Amino acid sequence: MGVTCVCQVPVAEGKSVQQTVDQLHKKLEQLGAVKQGSFFVDCETYHATGNASGQPSKLLYVMHNSETPLSCMALFEGGPYLTADANFDVLMVKLKSHFQNAKGHKVESRGARYRYCDFLVKVGTVTMSSSARGISVEVEYCACVVPGDCWNLMKEFMQSFLGSNVPEIPSVFTSKPEGLFAPADCMDTMSQYLELFSKVRKQQVLPGSSVR
Amino acid sequence: MPLRIDVTCAPALTVGEIMADVMNVGVNLEAFSQAINAIQALRSSVTRVFDSLKDGMKNKETLEGREKAFIAEFQDNLQSVNRDLTELERLSNLVGRPSESHPLHNSGLLSLDPVQDKTPLYSQLLQAYKWSNKLQYHAGLASSLLNQQSLKRSANQIGASAKRRPKVQPSTLVLPIQYVDDVISRIGRMFPDMSIELFRPNGTSAVLLVTLGKVLKAIVVMRSLFIDRTIVRGYHENVHSEDGKLDIWSKSNYQVFQKVTDHATTALLHYQLPQMPDVVVRSFMTWLRSYIKLFQTPCQRCGKFLQDGLPPTWRDFRTLEAFHDTCRQ
Amino acid sequence: MEAPPVTVMPVTGGTINMMEYLLQGSVLDQSLDSLLHRLRGLCDNMEPESFADHELVYLLKGQQGNPFILRARRSLAHPTAPWHLRYLGQPEVGDKSRHALVRNCVDVAASHSLPDFLNEMGFRMDHEFVAKGHIFRKGALKMVVSKLSRVLVPGNTDNTEPLSLSYLVELSVLAPAGQDTVSEDMRSFAEQLKPLVHLEKIDPKRLM
Repeated sequence: MGVTCVCQVPVAEGKSVQQTVDQLHKKLEQLGAVKQGSFFVDCETYHATGNASGQPSKLLYVMHNSETPLSCMALFEGGPYLTADANFDVLMVKLKSHFQNAKGHKVESRGARYRYCDFLVKVGTVTMSSSARGISVEVEYCACVVPGDCWNLMKEFMQSFLGSNVPEIPSVFTSKPEGLFAPADCMDTMSQYLELFSKVRKQQVLPGSSVR
Repeated sequence: MPLRIDVTCAPALTVGEIMADVMNVGVNLEAFSQAINAIQALRSSVTRVFDSLKDGMKNKETLEGREKAFIAEFQDNLQSVNRDLTELERLSNLVGRPSESHPLHNSGLLSLDPVQDKTPLYSQLLQAYKWSNKLQYHAGLASSLLNQQSLKRSANQIGASAKRRPKVQPSTLVLPIQYVDDVISRIGRMFPDMSIELFRPNGTSAVLLVTLGKVLKAIVVMRSLFIDRTIVRGYHENVHSEDGKLDIWSKSNYQVFQKVTDHATTALLHYQLPQMPDVVVRSFMTWLRSYIKLFQTPCQRCGKFLQDGLPPTWRDFRTLEAFHDTCRQ
Repeated sequence: MEAPPVTVMPVTGGTINMMEYLLQGSVLDQSLDSLLHRLRGLCDNMEPESFADHELVYLLKGQQGNPFILRARRSLAHPTAPWHLRYLGQPEVGDKSRHALVRNCVDVAASHSLPDFLNEMGFRMDHEFVAKGHIFRKGALKMVVSKLSRVLVPGNTDNTEPLSLSYLVELSVLAPAGQDTVSEDMRSFAEQLKPLVHLEKIDPKRLM
């Protein structure tokens, strides 16, 4: 597991989500990237029901990533994070009297997975309640584990197909005090997706961007 | 009359001795031509002896007269043979001993082979001689050059040059384990951002696991203090195989580290100094350490980070500057 | 709009509805060796595995009803191994003819952030103990012989005191719901351990 950056790419003016995604695919293929299957990342939202103390309850997110198909990631915004096996989903069903699944809030991103040298690029369409809400691009540099080391290198790579839409260094990395070391699980990736999904959830439905 | 000398008639000289001196141009040439004339004279006088013997007694009035005349003639003839032989012996002393310093020694005589046209042995011999001379000369030059450069990897071939060195070097292949440990731990202390672990999985040969910052891990297989092989992998890649041993064979999953492995192997061949193997290890480690900024340094030539998806993987052996593989000279 | 195509399945993975069939008993410390000896003979041909686990029992109290119990276990012998989170349902009332206690069971392997995470979810640690003992297997049957010790100083697993002078003996099988034949196997196995240990169907509710 290397250093990962997830960012949202705006839909090109006058184009649909799908057209913008196709355009990105084309750019990647011109660069020499090879398509290697597909990917998905999803996120369910749970909120605690019995809140005796009366404080506003935190939301619990349970996420899955096709890159780690047997795992299940549970997150609170801002931590702590838990990596568990797929039985955690079953446990959440048992816990349904305490944590309710906000079904309408399920967000996911699906798309193609490209490999270019030691880079992995995933271009996904973010959908919520069956409507396309935006485009996510995940770039992973698999050979390096220190975000601060390879950020400039990744930025140069992203510029080559995202142009001016290159994001700033993800806040998960800058907020880490010691050594900027990405741990070997995919929590950093998932918290970036979580951030992106929260942004997408709040944003207005794009006109005429329904998947159907 | 063909130039053939009966051995019995010229006991003091062989054909070879006479002819060999022909080669010594300018040495007693006069004596030579006289000697040849003397031989001719000797041969003709010998011929005369046999002619008179073959003719037998000449027809004379009395038997006594015949016998007397025959004996007188035979004696005359023998005396002339004797005279000629004495003359030849005298001349042969003038001619002197054949030169010992002849470059081809007796094989030079091949040039005198009358059937030279059919078997060009002599010209071939001369060619071979020239070649072997040249070879020796060039080999001499090369050996002196190579001794300056000291490219030899194994110490047991140092031979003469090692003997000339006043300080007797221990054979670098059988250095004591303690010494190797010391050298490695000294190098490890030199570079705080580089940790070197030493293993001896099989006997005395050491295997080093070098962890460079959070960038890479290199496995360095040593033979005494010589580096035999190195393989570079990512910081988060496995260095142990499933049975828990150091995995010194399988290459990295990442193209960038496969490239660095190639360059590190080149560096092994570049840094060679059989007399001071510890310096070699130190130079190699210094060079390897320059990869601490593998992902942070742009190429010194093109100024970019990536080329064909790879960061600058080459490090100059002297300046340690970073270049893309294709950007270096 | 209320029929989203991707959210039909709320559960993405995992094995649903696994049941634990359980028989329990105990032996005095003196009889431990003869029981281990017997088990070594009866069980699959393997060296018995020893373990030393630290178990934390967490409660989540709702506004009404029983608290929700989760058991978090970590290995003291293998500190880098994942944590084991276990949910055990209420024992099925079921028919009396069943030989073993049957209850719903969810096993989850989790990362080391588990205690923090459970706290954030609202769980509170109720009690903790250390279990040390041996595991035997015979096919799907699992035999655990363990000594339970209470933790004297919270969180410090070095400072413990045995709960009793005996060892807990548990015979359990994990099986999908409805496979009641496994309880037959368990009964016949338990028969073979008599009179060293009497394994019985014990309802934890009665003890509370």
